[in-house]
Amino acid sequence: MADVETLSHSGISVHDLKEAEDFYCGILGAQVHGAVNFVTEDTLKGRSVHQSYTLGDFLFALVLAPDFMPMPPADKLMGVNGFRHAFAVRHADFDATIARLKAAGVPFKGPVGHPDKGPFGESVYFKDPSGNFLELLWRRDENVDYAKAPQLDVG
Amino acid sequence: MALNGAFSHLVVECADLEKSEAFYRDVIGLDVVGRNLVADNRPNSLLATNTRQRLLLVETGEVPPYPGSGGSIHHAWLLTIEQFKAARDRLEAAGFSSGIDPRQSFRAVGEYNMDIHDPDGNRFQIQAFGEEGTEILRSGAGTVMMGHMDDFAVGSVTHNRKGRFFLVREDEGFLAVSSWCTHKNGLTIWQKESWHFYCPFHGAKYDRKGCYVGHMGCQPMRLHPMQIDALGQVVVDTNRFFGRSGFEAAQAVPAEPGGKFDETGLTELPACDEKEVRERAKTGG
Ligand code: FES
Repeated sequence: MADVETLSHSGISVHDLKEAEDFYCGILGAQVHGAVNFVTEDTLKGRSVHQSYTLGDFLFALVLAPDFMPMPPADKLMGVNGFRHAFAVRHADFDATIARLKAAGVPFKGPVGHPDKGPFGESVYFKDPSGNFLELLWRRDENVDYAKAPQLDVG
Repeated sequence: MALNGAFSHLVVECADLEKSEAFYRDVIGLDVVGRNLVADNRPNSLLATNTRQRLLLVETGEVPPYPGSGGSIHHAWLLTIEQFKAARDRLEAAGFSSGIDPRQSFRAVGEYNMDIHDPDGNRFQIQAFGEEGTEILRSGAGTVMMGHMDDFAVGSVTHNRKGRFFLVREDEGFLAVSSWCTHKNGLTIWQKESWHFYCPFHGAKYDRKGCYVGHMGCQPMRLHPMQIDALGQVVVDTNRFFGRSGFEAAQAVPAEPGGKFDETGLTELPACDEKEVRERAKTGG
């Protein structure tokens, strides 16, 4: 047993909240969770402007950071810009997922197969519009009944 | 796109795999699954939480410096209260100062947090939620005299900060609505412009009668018993709390001298002293 239950949430910096929301909700299927604010005066006063979302059991906040780290080169699709988040889909839906990225015009790298001895199957790598690296994969342990991430409703 | 639980793993680059693996294993408390289990030709190590979620450390020659302006990029590990206490000891043993939560004022009561940076300067939160987050907190203000009933116009919401409640004047009469958010003991504020109570902690909203609006499934804000005395003075008893499943007209105290609170259909809830709980919360559970 690990001494950590789960990841509680992540904050992800983006250049433009609307653009990021369209991407995470429209393409990855995330849902708006607690609306915090989209108020411009807050940005002007230097307060963090963010909104939280859920993607399956994952809670994350998109945080507006206009002077964010530099964009990675356009042709670099797989990388780590501080962090990379990877989301699991079922093996049976992997092709449909790739088709969805193609249809949305999101450039991606892969699929890349992982070593048999590890828990991961195949991954595709891509970026959100602010240059945060993302990954979608299927996992060999997809039928293992792991403990569920507690629903916290916080972020 | 059918997700499988959704979140699979977080990839973090590190300058020294040995060092980072030890940090995430011994200080954060993850389990090591193994080395080089993924398709990446750089040395990597996979670590596990108690759920499906994994952390993948990848060693690179050079980790770009932690972006100062992107200070909002962070991740939070969720621990039980017991794990949290153990983690605090581990952190201290490893030479991290864990006592101070730099943003304590932003936390709801009973929300515990430590901030920590990994060997490459990435910021993590370590979080736990104690039972103080759902305890019912008595402000200590006791019985509060609010003034004459005629001084409160229909539709008005009057905040009593010390007593931690709002006096709401509705068509049907008065409600003394406790200002504690029923989610995790944040303190709500009245947002006049949008006609709702708002909890800045995790964004809960309640309508003017204190009923939750949204999809977090929170209970309505609780009620304090109150009365209008023979002279028309509004008197609120902040020592007692009543839970309810929604609003009903009978919950409102009629705006007339002698107007009484009707407990029918409401559940009285045991409460503890806010001060005492805050003391307990300070020491991290
Ligand atoms: S404490 Fe969580 S929304 Fe109020």
